[in-house]
Amino acid sequence: MNNTVIFKLGVIFIIILSFFWLFVFGPFYDSLVIQLTVFIVVVGWNVLRFSFKETISLLKFCFPFVLSLFVFGLIFHYVQLLGRTDWLLDTLIKCLVFPSSLIFLKILLTYITYLDILNLPISMKKRIGLITMKSAFQKGEKIMRRFSWYLDTYSDLQSDNRIKSELKKYACLIIALYLYLYEEIENSNRLLKNRYHHFYEANE
Amino acid sequence: MEIHKGKYRLNDRNLNFDMVDGLNFNNSGGCFYFRGGNGFGKTSFLEKIIIPALKADNLPYLYIGQDIRTQLYTLRALLSIQGVKVSDADEVELLRLWINQGQSASVLILDEFDKYFPDYGFIFDWSEAFIRNYIIVTHLATSRCEAPANNHPIYNVRFELINIDGHLKNIRVRNE
Repeated sequence: MNNTVIFKLGVIFIIILSFFWLFVFGPFYDSLVIQLTVFIVVVGWNVLRFSFKETISLLKFCFPFVLSLFVFGLIFHYVQLLGRTDWLLDTLIKCLVFPSSLIFLKILLTYITYLDILNLPISMKKRIGLITMKSAFQKGEKIMRRFSWYLDTYSDLQSDNRIKSELKKYACLIIALYLYLYEEIENSNRLLKNRYHHFYEANE
Repeated sequence: MEIHKGKYRLNDRNLNFDMVDGLNFNNSGGCFYFRGGNGFGKTSFLEKIIIPALKADNLPYLYIGQDIRTQLYTLRALLSIQGVKVSDADEVELLRLWINQGQSASVLILDEFDKYFPDYGFIFDWSEAFIRNYIIVTHLATSRCEAPANNHPIYNVRFELINIDGHLKNIRVRNE
């Protein structure tokens, strides 16, 4: 069983490394057409693996990062920073690479199950750590939509300037998510350790 | 703002509301209590019909949802970016700070708030200077839940299950 898990995790990590080697740091990075294709494929995969709604929410999460990247790229292109004239192309590529790699990584990591973690030949303390992380991030992903929903109801965040209110909302989302994950990781970790100790003591 | 009588369908929640009476929030103000069994769509009615109508009318409101523990994370974040010190604030203090900041609102919506705070009269103390209408979802008996709102005219709105058509629940919404 251990070998199967190690093999499965090995394959997942090789696929992740290959993706980054080919499309993020390697030979296909410069091709806008390939990056666009990768983006479409990865988004499609996410829709099939999760849902259309979840994919939209993930893309919305990436949007402010992509937008700021694009704005800076546009400014650099306009002023021809460092004498470069390829800022726009480079920015467009980065605007595709960032969400693609994030979504790809997220999809691949969901193939690692709790059972896989339990079967890893590592100490229980490390297993608890990994289980806690997986559980917290899974919950965090779900709760993000609800946080967004609540933030949309706060009139304090609405203003005439749409960009300003979106940025404020986004800042709130990040802070809320951070607070949630911080507490969630602490609570889940305490709960798991407690259960493990009681179970261990009961079987002594 | 007014929710007219008629049919309202929420396909994604499999709910079909038949509003027998309209809801008028333009009058002198008051406390609207939404009552009905679990799963009869009270929260969906708030989130998918009342809140969008408030937004469409640009009517500022405050909404405290049923999953208040989740909402508190967003309140803490919101108050932090507004420069309010929240590091030592407990749940009640967070709510007080937020309501105090939201004085432009004229509607306050509480969804099963009494589940967490059975004696929630403090919400009225903090807000009645500026809130005209309260919309409150509750499962408590009439006499118990109305006690905190003793200074306000009370309107009871009942959610009743008519029938279940496949997955679709037909709900009647009427004033009592």
